[in-house]
This record gives sequence, C-alpha cells and structure tokens, in this order.
Amino acid sequence: MFISDLFIAFIKYSFKLIKSNGWLIGLLTVLVIVFQGLILPAQTQQPVTIKTLVRADEAQQLQPLVTKFNQQHSDIRFQIVEAPSDSNQVEDLYTSSFLLGNSPYDLIYMDIVWTPKFAAAGWLEDVSDRLSDTEAQQYLEGDIAGGMYENKLYRIPFRSDAGMLYYRQDLLEEAGYEPPETFKELLEISQDLQKQGLIEWGYVWQGKQYEGLAAMFVEVLQGSGAFWVNPDTLEVGLDRPEAIEAVEFLRQAIATKVSPPGVTTYAEEEARLLFQNGKAAFLRNWPYVYSLALESPIAGKYSIKPMVHSVGQNSGACLGGWGIGIAKNTKHPDAAWEVIKFLSSEESQREFILETGFVPSRTALFNDQAIVAKYNYYPKLLDVVQSSALRPPISQYAQTSDILQRYLSAAITGKMTPEKAMQAAAKETRNLLKG
Amino acid sequence: MLNKQEKITGWLLLIPALLILGLVFIYPIARAFYLSWFTENLGTQLQPVFAGLGNYQRMIGDGRFWQSIYNTSIFTVFSVVLELFLGLGVALVLNKSFFGRGIVRTISIIPWALPTAVMGLAWAWIFNDQYGVVNDILSRLGLIDTGINWLGTPALAMIALIVADVWKTTPFISIILLAGLQSISEDLYEAHRMDGATPLQSFYQITLPLLMPQILIALLFRFAQSFGVFDLVQVMTGGGPAGTTETVSIYIYSTIMRYLDFGYGAALVVVTFLLLIAAVGITSLMLKKVRA
Repeated sequence: MFISDLFIAFIKYSFKLIKSNGWLIGLLTVLVIVFQGLILPAQTQQPVTIKTLVRADEAQQLQPLVTKFNQQHSDIRFQIVEAPSDSNQVEDLYTSSFLLGNSPYDLIYMDIVWTPKFAAAGWLEDVSDRLSDTEAQQYLEGDIAGGMYENKLYRIPFRSDAGMLYYRQDLLEEAGYEPPETFKELLEISQDLQKQGLIEWGYVWQGKQYEGLAAMFVEVLQGSGAFWVNPDTLEVGLDRPEAIEAVEFLRQAIATKVSPPGVTTYAEEEARLLFQNGKAAFLRNWPYVYSLALESPIAGKYSIKPMVHSVGQNSGACLGGWGIGIAKNTKHPDAAWEVIKFLSSEESQREFILETGFVPSRTALFNDQAIVAKYNYYPKLLDVVQSSALRPPISQYAQTSDILQRYLSAAITGKMTPEKAMQAAAKETRNLLKG
Repeated sequence: MLNKQEKITGWLLLIPALLILGLVFIYPIARAFYLSWFTENLGTQLQPVFAGLGNYQRMIGDGRFWQSIYNTSIFTVFSVVLELFLGLGVALVLNKSFFGRGIVRTISIIPWALPTAVMGLAWAWIFNDQYGVVNDILSRLGLIDTGINWLGTPALAMIALIVADVWKTTPFISIILLAGLQSISEDLYEAHRMDGATPLQSFYQITLPLLMPQILIALLFRFAQSFGVFDLVQVMTGGGPAGTTETVSIYIYSTIMRYLDFGYGAALVVVTFLLLIAAVGITSLMLKKVRA
C-alpha cells in the first residue's frame, strides 16, 4: 500500500510538471525534431558497423584492440556487444538471434564446440577461400581442425585453450618422485603422498555433469587409446574395452580416496580452489589457472605437463578456445573479414596475450620473445597444446555430449558400473547419430 | 435481455482481450501442436519434413524423457506436500496474535520474494561438500566424519533441491492460507467451544473444511509451478548427477535451444502439457470429493 501510494504521488507530480511547464515540453519537442532533421542525416554517411557478441569479461579485455581497429579504419566501425559471463548463455543468445532471422551480429565470437552446429544450421559463412594454406599453417593444427565442418573452414582461431596436468613440484621432490606419466603412477604417487601426510587429496578434476566433464574425459579417452565418435564415419567407440578402462581410472581415483568424493560436483573453479589452497597434489585444468595460482599460497611450488596416459599411449589435451566466424546474413562480409584479419594477426594476438595471459592460437607466439619474457612457461605449454584431442566436430555434438555426460556421471557416482554405463551411452549415441 | 445494439457493442469491447489472448496463448499452443508433426532439426537437415506421429513414437522409447517425467513428479509431489503442511502450520501461527506479529509476517515472505536464481546459488553453497553449512553442522554434531556429497550423489541431490524449494515457496502457501484463515469468523469457534469441542476438534470440523477453497487454490498454483521448475534446478545441479535431477523443462530447453530439434521439442511440450492438465484435473476432482 505504501509503495503504491508513492507511485500514485509520483504520477500526479509528473502531470503537474507537464501542466505548469507546457512551454518547456514544447521547446524540448522542437529540439528533438531539429536534431532528427539536421544531425541524423549527417550521420547516414557513417562507416559500416560490424557487431559481435562477446562474454562480458572478455569484451572488456578486447576493448583496447577494438579502439585500435577503429582508429586505423575510417570506413569500418567495429563494435562489441557485451553478453553474460556464462558461455552457455552466449550460445543461447546467438542461437536465438539466428532463429529469429535478422541477426544483429556480423561476426560470431565462438567456442570451438559450437562451430559444427552453427555451420550445419547454415548460420556461418564459408571462409575457406579467404585463408591461404600458408596462413592456415601458422595456426595450431588442432585449432584449424576444430573450425572445420565437412571439409570447409568456418572459424578463424583467435585464442586457444587446452587441458593439462598441474602438479606440486615441491611435494614430488620431497617424496623423491618424478612427475607421473601414466594413470597408474598418478594414483600411486597420490596415495603415497597422502599416506605420508604431505597433502590431503591427490588428484582433483572436473566431475560435475556439464560440458567440462566431457572435455576432461576426452583426454582420458585419448590417453587410453580409445575414441568417442569418429567424425567422418560417425562410429562410436565408447563401449570398447579401452574406453571402459578410461572410466575405470576415474572410478579408481574416487574409490581409493585419491580424489575427494565431492569431485563429482566440481567444475573448473572448485577444483582450482582446492589445488590453489594447497589441498591437492594434482589438478586437471585449463591454462588460466597458472597465472591465478601465482598469487596463491602455492606460488612457485607447481608446474605443468601434458596429461597422463596408459602405458604405450600418448597424452591428449582437450582443445578449447575461441575463434571468429562470419555470420551468413551479414550485409558486409568483407568488412567483417577485415576485422577478423586484424584480430587474428600476430601483432594483435601478442598484445592480447600479454595483457590477459590467454593462450595464443599461432604457433610462433609460444616462443615469442616478448611473451616468453613475461610468461616463461609458454614454450612448455606448446607441448601440451600440440598433443591436442578434439571433441568430435559433428553437428549434433551438444546432444552427443549430453548423453556421455549423463552416463559418465552415473558411472563415477556409482549409480551404474563403468561397463553398463558406457554400453548404454554408446547405444544411445548410435541411435542418435543414425537417426 | 440485451438488444442487438448492446450485443454488438459488447463483442466490440471484447475484441482487444480476445486478440491478446489469441496472440499470447492460443497461437503458441496451436503452433506447438503443428510443429510436433514435423521433423525439424537444424543439426541434421534444414528443411522440415512431415513426420506424422514419428516424434511421439520416438518419445515412447526415449528413456531420458521418462526419467525426466519421473524426476519432475518426485520433485513436485514431495515439495508440494511438504510445503502444504509447513505452510498450514506457519499460517496457523501467524493467525494468532502475539507480540511482533507484523514483523514476523513480513520476514516470513522474504524467501518467496528472493529471485530463485540467487537463492539457488546460495543453496548450492549451503550443500557444498567441502565448505557447506549443512555438512559443517552435521560434523559438529558428530553425525558424519567426511563431508556428504549432497549435490553429487544421485538420491541426495533431489533431496537438496526439494529442501531449497520448500524453503522458498512455503511462504507463498502460508500467505494464501492466512488470508483464508482470516475470513473464518471467530463466532464459529466460540459456538463450537460452547458445545464442548476441543481445539483439535474445531481444527478438523471448522478450520479445515472452511479453508478447503484456499488449500485447493494453493495446491493448483504450486502444482503447476513446480511441474515446470527450471531455474532452481539449472542453478543448483544443472540436471546432474547422472541426469537424476533433470526435469521436463530442462530437457525441453536442451532439445530446443541446444540441439535445435524443434519438432521433437514441440512434441515434448505437447505431451507434458497434456500430462499436466490431466494431473491438475485429477487433483482438483479428488479434492472436490474430499470437500463434499
């Protein structure tokens, strides 16, 4: 009642203002008309505007590059619209803008896993002819492969991302261990460190049912010599013995108390906090943790290496990262390409990386003088990134990933045996991709 | 009787309301029914193809759909029943006059006034296995040694969701019931007392029967709302672990927004819609019988 009284009083007051200041309203109206008549036409000869939608925190970080671009180009105005910080929500916003038809975005700043879906839906412009082979070779191979759909390129990589193993160097030295190479060594070293009371938990990773679970699992799969879905033949490999062994490793980690029971609810941040607070010896995470942990109790005590694997197999680093594509319905594809060329240039990437500590998508930058001077671990990072594993680049990836997430989550929470879970996941995935 | 002129004017006056109703209710529902007969999936082909009952057949074998129906039903039944009992209790207390009743009434609505996404995040932290308050209390009481993994254990995650939902929506029920209680005349109780009835008897013979209309309304509102629960689940568990908290709304959202499978998504909407109408119909019939 109180609020509604206030509201009514406010409206009454507004009416009174209008009544007593009729001349003021008139003057304002005239001004608006003059403005529209004189000033707006002058602006119609303005440069073409190229818009894109980027997660809020990253939009801030890109701002210096935007300003620089607009200073250099008088005929194009590049503009970034800020989106929510959660990348799922950005995907939804792009999706709904395309579904509605007249999308306001000329460029699509996209996560690697969106590419096949957006390309299959016909929302992306084929940019294969715009990038020469020699130019393409300057990027990380996996990053270019992740931008392809049915042998055409739809996305130019801007910044890369890859999963890796963080380990506590100080603890390993104290106990006299080399960094682990295999799954088995990781578990054994963890148990020993825990037994000696050097650390509370061994290995923390992303076990929550969400996309990060699939990203983490791709690495374990590759390390076990297994595969998820072959993008060319759509063959599903989840129920093969090697894949079941991969799940077995995760189960083992929980069963032997190497990983905390709560690991099945952890996303990146929960895992990072445990590691950073000195509560875990090993961590699977993305490169962003490295610079954050430099200002934590474990500063100077940790290092990184490629993910562990089975005997006789190789490491896999799940490739993430962001790139830029051109929207099919843009009226200015050439201007949009100018923006892409500018952003993905070596110079812009160097500037952006130095500012933010993200991972470059150009191979040369990992050994770049200026970058190594600031981040001395980047040459090591190149090893990690080059052993990359892709999540299957298929148009129905989102659904495929959800199936895996559900059954993998069932397996690691003990609701199903690894064998049963993977068989069910494989069966459902085959049904989906067949239909 | 209205004459012809008046009838025409009457219809003319109704037109704006009918138009709006048609635009925001009837058109979308009809459109969903229509779409559900097509295979329209941007992931596999760009042109919609007539599929007849194909989408409905697919649903029969879709274990994930039935699990989501099961999850939603469990969530709805437990949260609504608990809310009803707690809400009735709170309403009875708030109906008594005691010192500071106004303040208590105001405070009791706060959970309902909070945005669900915000309070969902808070509950996710409350149930966190390492830093959560629930585990802290349990371990201080000596009931557990290591933290219980609430949101990561299949059966427990649903309990956590129900607790959060009960906390949030009990005030809604208690406010509706409080309004009902206030409309019951004090004279009835007095007369009843004169006849030698105990307080418990007056509760069963006066309060409960006269409160039935409000209970019915509260139940129907809550039933429809919690059957469509989305935000709370999305924030607290995202449907996990192992899909044990995935509700129908979350599944439909994924099908349409993430898989771009519009035809099947529309069929899911239609079936859920019919199931909900049937469930609400049966509940209200049952309650009417109880009243009679």
